[in-house]
Amino acid sequence: MITRFWAETATALVTLAFGLIVVWGAREFGIGWDSSGPQPGAFPFYTGALIAIASVGTLVVTFVQRWRGAAIVEEIFLDRERAGRVVAFFAPLVGFVLITAFAGMYVATIAYLLFAMRFQGGYGWLVSVASAVAAAFVFYVVFERFFQIGLLKGPVERLLGL
Amino acid sequence: MDNIASLMHGFSVALTTHHILLMMAGVLLGILVGVLPGLGAPNGVSLMLPLTFTMDPVSAIILLTSLYWGALFGGSTTSILFNIPGEPSSVATTFDGHPMAKQGRATEALSFAFLSAGIGALAGVILITLLSGWVANFALRFSSPEYFAVYFMTFASFIGLGGASPFKAIVAMGVGFALASVGMDSVSGNIRLTFEFDVLLAGISFLIAVIGLFGIGELLLTMEEGLRFEGVAAKVRVRDVLRTAAKLPRYWLALLRSSAIGIWMGITPGGPTAASFMSYAMAKRSSRNPAKFGKGEPEGVIAPETADHAAGSAAMLPMLALGIPGSATAAVMMGGLMIWGLNPGPMLFIERPDFVWGLIASMYLGNVVAVVVVLATVPLFASILRIPFSIVAPLIVMICFIGAYTVASKEFDIWVALAFGIVGYVFKKLDYPIAPLILAMVIGDKAEDAFRQSMIFSQGSLSIFWSNPLVTTLMGIGLTLLLLPLIGSAVRTLRGRSVTVAAKG
Repeated sequence: MITRFWAETATALVTLAFGLIVVWGAREFGIGWDSSGPQPGAFPFYTGALIAIASVGTLVVTFVQRWRGAAIVEEIFLDRERAGRVVAFFAPLVGFVLITAFAGMYVATIAYLLFAMRFQGGYGWLVSVASAVAAAFVFYVVFERFFQIGLLKGPVERLLGL
Repeated sequence: MDNIASLMHGFSVALTTHHILLMMAGVLLGILVGVLPGLGAPNGVSLMLPLTFTMDPVSAIILLTSLYWGALFGGSTTSILFNIPGEPSSVATTFDGHPMAKQGRATEALSFAFLSAGIGALAGVILITLLSGWVANFALRFSSPEYFAVYFMTFASFIGLGGASPFKAIVAMGVGFALASVGMDSVSGNIRLTFEFDVLLAGISFLIAVIGLFGIGELLLTMEEGLRFEGVAAKVRVRDVLRTAAKLPRYWLALLRSSAIGIWMGITPGGPTAASFMSYAMAKRSSRNPAKFGKGEPEGVIAPETADHAAGSAAMLPMLALGIPGSATAAVMMGGLMIWGLNPGPMLFIERPDFVWGLIASMYLGNVVAVVVVLATVPLFASILRIPFSIVAPLIVMICFIGAYTVASKEFDIWVALAFGIVGYVFKKLDYPIAPLILAMVIGDKAEDAFRQSMIFSQGSLSIFWSNPLVTTLMGIGLTLLLLPLIGSAVRTLRGRSVTVAAKG
């Protein structure tokens, strides 16, 4: 179980780090002013600094709220049941992205829909396989044929000569 | 009467069979993305955008704006029938719309929603017709410092009026600006913030951000809630629609007030979501029997719907005339205009009057088409929601990632979309406003260019922002917007009260 306090704190720390990285990256091109106005790094530098300062602001507000015992920071951000639902949805989604990256979008489409329907939706093998293949086929017709936009392909698609 | 003549010319551009068909297609796709949770107007438009790169700009913008109207309507359908807002901006419609549906008055609720939404949208479009030429003319006097001042005002109002914690609004906005400056710097030609990663050379597209933040992020939230559709069946009969339409004039005051609220919130970047909530609250407060609100009061449907659509269409005014989008969806469309090689802002009225007035004329037609189409297709889209979510959710995920990939055909983009999905989920849960992030990504470069050009004029002196009455006034308004609520909310936060209404949409 995660309370809002920890979620707020962690998020603010991440945005703080992001701000500092931007500040660090901006230093490469000069952050000062010259005769033609600000140097290329100035805008990102101040943006990064602003993010960092505002993140510290959120941290301070969050800590003050906790110190004062405000109800909002003690709210539950994520409990076990909800986290379970999120993971059950998110894990196959990441799987889809991974398979897409290594084996192409069509293979990933079939694998993902098959998995979701068979193991999460409780459909039979036949229906699941048929729907998954049909979805991949529809994507192929709509994107590659109709809109002439190629989707990400891997070795399997190349083997089939798509 | 110049505007009327231009508008008539616009109708001659928009009124072709090809365009009417595009409108219908756009509206249907829009209702679909509006109905499906996780897909909304901003990301429906983002997903369609890469497919319009080869179309001519007039057809493309007609398709995208129609999709936008459709999405706004679709969101209300699910709010009323399923108590699930398909769009953040139709949350307020669930308060009275769903109770009405449960009492067997679904057709009445839907008809009220769609008709009042149509009226709200028309009010917004009429305003655009009357004012856009004037605003654009006025804006022709702007040079870089004035532009920067207007950008500054826009962002200041997000921080000041957004309703979210100002710190969070600043973080969201800053992240957008930082991401916008990744890649080639258009003034100096330097490659910035790539940290020697080649994939970052071309920058990060705002389309990927929208798809991740609104699409994947929204889906994660929906799944967390453990979504179940328990809908009310609805058959829409023409007779019932007409009978409801006949009752509509009785609510003229609510319609008028809600249109005004919507228009105001649309022009200032409050957005449709804030507009619908505000309008609902106002209707309840000024009603003679506020106790009936929340239990199926028609005015509780009419007020948020009118304001939602008035805001949605009015948001196009600053986008067209000033190059400043009034909502996340308008920001995406403005990005589209820039990709098609058009430069949103006052010059557009001079360089491409056919485009501008064609678009404005299409808004009239598009909304009429949308009302008819949405009434005709309620049963169809309601049945789509009966498809189990274990099939629909993966399909939405796939469409989001395919959309992300089609933006630039880069594998890297699907990882970026995934990352934005996680960011979107966390940001929404913690009330970080997302709209400023998108806005900053779209107009970040322009704001920076305006600032640096001003600095070139003034040889590096900030005093240029106080150099003439116009720019001083604009900066003054910006600073006021920024500072007053900031102090107010700081005081409130320290007292331990918190404000959690985030500006979305």
